[in-house]
Amino acid sequence: MKYTPVSPDVIALLEEVTPGRVVVGNAINPDYSRDEMPIYGTHQPEVAIDVHSTAEVSAIMKICHQNNIPVTTRGAGTGLVGGSVPIYGGVVICTAQMNQIISFDEEQFGVVTQPGVLLETLKSEALKRGLMYPPDPGQKLATIGGNVSTNAGGMRAIKYGTTKDYVRGMTVVLADGEVMHIGANVAKTSMGYNLVQLITGAEGTLGVITELVLKLIKAPKLEISVMAPFADLDTALLAVPKIFKSSFRPTALEFFERDILELSESYVGKKVWPREVQGAPVQAYLLMIFDGDDMEEIDPIIEKMADFLLDAGAMDVMVADTVTKINDIWSARSAFLDCIMDSYKLYDENDVVVPIHKISEFVAFFTQEAEQYDFEVRYLGHAGDGNLHIFGVSNTMEEEPFKAQIHLWMEAMYTKALEMGGELTGEHGIGSGKISYFEDYVSERVIGLHAAIKEAFDPKGILNPGKVVRGR
Amino acid sequence: MHILVCVKQVPYAQNIAIDPVTNTLVREGVESILNPFDGYALEAAARLKDANPAIEIHALSMGPPQAEAALRECLAMAADKGYLATDRAFAGSDTLATSYILSETIRYIEREQGISFALIFCGKQAIDGDTAQVGPQIAELLGMAQVTNGLVCELQDNKLFIWRETDEGKEQVAVELPCLATFTKPGFEPRLATVRRRTAARRAEISVIGAQELQESDFNRMGLKGSPTQVKRTFAPTLKAGGVVVDTAQDPAAVAHLAQLLVERHIISTVK
Amino acid sequence: MDNPSRDLWVFVETNQDGTARKVGLELLNPGRRLADQQGGKLVAVVLAEDTTLAVKAVLPLGADTVMTITGAPYRQFNTEVYTAALCYLLQKYQPQTFLLGATSNGRELAPRISSRLQTGLTADCTQLHLDESGLVAWTRPAFGGNIMAEILCPKHRPQMGTVRPGVFKLPAVTAKRGEVIAESFPFDLPLNKLQVVQVINEVSSLVDLEGAEIIVAGGRGVGSAQGFQVLRTFAETIGAEIGASRGAVDAGWIPHAHQVGQTGKSVSPRLYIACGISGAAQHLAGIGSAEIVLAINQDPNAMIFKIADYGIVGDLFEVLPLLAQELRSRLGSASSETTQYHV
Repeated sequence: MKYTPVSPDVIALLEEVTPGRVVVGNAINPDYSRDEMPIYGTHQPEVAIDVHSTAEVSAIMKICHQNNIPVTTRGAGTGLVGGSVPIYGGVVICTAQMNQIISFDEEQFGVVTQPGVLLETLKSEALKRGLMYPPDPGQKLATIGGNVSTNAGGMRAIKYGTTKDYVRGMTVVLADGEVMHIGANVAKTSMGYNLVQLITGAEGTLGVITELVLKLIKAPKLEISVMAPFADLDTALLAVPKIFKSSFRPTALEFFERDILELSESYVGKKVWPREVQGAPVQAYLLMIFDGDDMEEIDPIIEKMADFLLDAGAMDVMVADTVTKINDIWSARSAFLDCIMDSYKLYDENDVVVPIHKISEFVAFFTQEAEQYDFEVRYLGHAGDGNLHIFGVSNTMEEEPFKAQIHLWMEAMYTKALEMGGELTGEHGIGSGKISYFEDYVSERVIGLHAAIKEAFDPKGILNPGKVVRGR
Repeated sequence: MHILVCVKQVPYAQNIAIDPVTNTLVREGVESILNPFDGYALEAAARLKDANPAIEIHALSMGPPQAEAALRECLAMAADKGYLATDRAFAGSDTLATSYILSETIRYIEREQGISFALIFCGKQAIDGDTAQVGPQIAELLGMAQVTNGLVCELQDNKLFIWRETDEGKEQVAVELPCLATFTKPGFEPRLATVRRRTAARRAEISVIGAQELQESDFNRMGLKGSPTQVKRTFAPTLKAGGVVVDTAQDPAAVAHLAQLLVERHIISTVK
Repeated sequence: MDNPSRDLWVFVETNQDGTARKVGLELLNPGRRLADQQGGKLVAVVLAEDTTLAVKAVLPLGADTVMTITGAPYRQFNTEVYTAALCYLLQKYQPQTFLLGATSNGRELAPRISSRLQTGLTADCTQLHLDESGLVAWTRPAFGGNIMAEILCPKHRPQMGTVRPGVFKLPAVTAKRGEVIAESFPFDLPLNKLQVVQVINEVSSLVDLEGAEIIVAGGRGVGSAQGFQVLRTFAETIGAEIGASRGAVDAGWIPHAHQVGQTGKSVSPRLYIACGISGAAQHLAGIGSAEIVLAINQDPNAMIFKIADYGIVGDLFEVLPLLAQELRSRLGSASSETTQYHV
């Protein structure tokens, strides 16, 4: 890939587009060289620009396109696969300052928003209007543009789906600067190829998203959390497919083992979850959410659920229905990722998806595989959809041997997951971090189709090069 | 053995805002919760009951009718019976009047059920009033020994052995029964409600105690009439105005400049 | 109380060795001001096994009278005994106003006394003055420090209030010396229903946060118990005490004895350095009397920056060692060793 270094002339041209906001070289905020997984590499851009409008992005793309300069788009930089790292230098366009929600459509249940709006802002603003943006990835400080670019998932996927189910339209700036408006805030569409869904999850490699039209739903008035402690993980996991076969429709269904809970609760500083039930130690937990419009609606469901779980081997069934209790039990769950990142020097992870009735087998597989290595394993999962977050962590190893061992472990896991009928990644994407696995595990034909699509959108290969699909 | 736990329903502190016009708290849209310190008191009682299932836990709250929700939460967690002391005659009570009403209610419950409370547990303070006065005042009115800032406790030889927080650390004391103990945050949170208990709690009967039940008591010691203190006014705290903020990412010499300032202005004069 | 005087009483709490706890001495400061405004005397009351040391500390600080009760039963603080003795004195002498320090003992004692005497008590006051009607106006924080309330006790006497250590500075020494009145409790003292079984001090050296001139405090941003070692090393360099926010204490990184804030200690240092502390109202309520606040936090939007006199947006683990170095180079350190900052 031959790109042209950014010259003073180009900087001058960029300055005309965004005066005072063209930051060069060492003056660039070091955060712009990395995301949340520095193990996949960091790289400083030559230029960084905090953009404010579609017009600015369009003008910048024209200049970069003409001058053969790579462009990487960045929101809050919370990605987990190196997606926003400018590995070929060039220009980083940061959309974080495009953080306005443009309008809510309370009749059509929609919202038009700029890409830099934080997920938590979008959710809370929607709630104020009795509306809900359901996708609920753990990282609430990510931008919605980033969420759409990675088709972010989250724990409410089993009832409400993922980000792609809520993207109805967008404004995209293409590689040559042309501005494209696609989609509309309507429930059905059959108009040609679904470009909106193609760009959703494309990790900034097909265009730069500068505006989004998203679907919302009516917010349920109440949410209750139900949790069940189990004496062992297998019993807990065996209950999961049964839950779906019965008529229960939880909004979320998570599982985790005792050791990650201990780590997380000591990080948060609050011990809320039971460690034993009537003297017997708890080793695993299921955590569920049920929502509805009033207690009369939810209560009978919870009671039936409790009976069901006890029959399935739960040691007891607890409920959190007040704001403080709900916050308390979820704060440990929400802190899992942060506490792993803060507690370990080296960490790498994957987020494979396996069929839910195979979770137990898969957990046994990767824990056993890891025994031959020097790192430790920490994991949790969305039991409801089989999407696991599996970390290899270490405070004692050196970086190179760690990466080497992790690589072997990841390969074993990906092979197994695909064998079982799963996927390599449920939510985090490919970025640069997972690109070699993607190429190894997917057919040549599929890779070829990816390359062809990339070529169609970005023949010069300047949009986030080195991510998802390698250039020529 | 019977334990009485005094609880209060309070506004959820995270959302507190002050109305700039009236200089009082904005109450709309603020959720009500069980006072967290009362949760610790209930948990302490629950643990005594875990060790001795014959113990009965009674939860009592003085408040408006919606305080019933806090009592049901206590039933769902560990309490066996719930009582709500509510009446317009009680409104406007300061801590002394509140303590009087609660003590009279406690006496009423004891008479009515033919029991006596060996232990009265309270949270150390309510997160709205923040006074930490009601517990000790009730102990005085009922003529009981008191222990404050309790963390964990157990019963032994008809005494309460309780670890409490002190200014310097912790100490364990042994108190003769009957006694009153107030609790602060220990190293664990109150237990979660089980679904079974919650279902039962939603259907349980909460005894309501009002002026009618307390006819023998002195109404001059209740409500506004019975309150020696009154609030003259409330206002937003005046915070210091912020000063100079520098960002090390933007100014690598920031720390050096700060050191210079601190030395020049004699804020720090010696180093080891 | 049928005929209260215009006098103001201050309870000067003592340690087991008979030395006066600082807070009682601090209260002689507003005590003098209010007693003068009320037109009465300032009386300090001391209960101890041997009151000599406490009386000596109190006399130069402006009290007109020091009232003492001496004896073995008063060696160790005991709510029942102290309540009985003080209520006896208060009923005998009928002061207008009674101030106590809001120490852990004070907060046991004051409500008990106010309940026995059926009078009004206002806890944790941060300001005291006489209002236009001549009543004491007790100002205190409520709702975790989010709102301030001014309380009056119009009819019941004595008007009572507790004040946290460090809210007021010690009064200046005066040449005038008051009189000492040795009193005694004429009845049988109540039986002690409470025995101390074990004591654990979590503060290794004699930490006096409330009297400290410089405090280095850590919050959630410190990240771990080991992280506090960096703060300790820095504190040693500049001669500071270590404090902590509730978040750091709750996380188990440092004992509760170091906690500053609404449910911890109130401090009034010359310099308060808040490291990795976001600045929640409950914490700010404890540092209101700090002269200068320096905040170090990675989050430029942290609340603490709104009230800090100096703020640095940065990583405390980098800033503190660097600051120590910069200070040393300007103030000339005698030490030739480089300080190791281990995390």
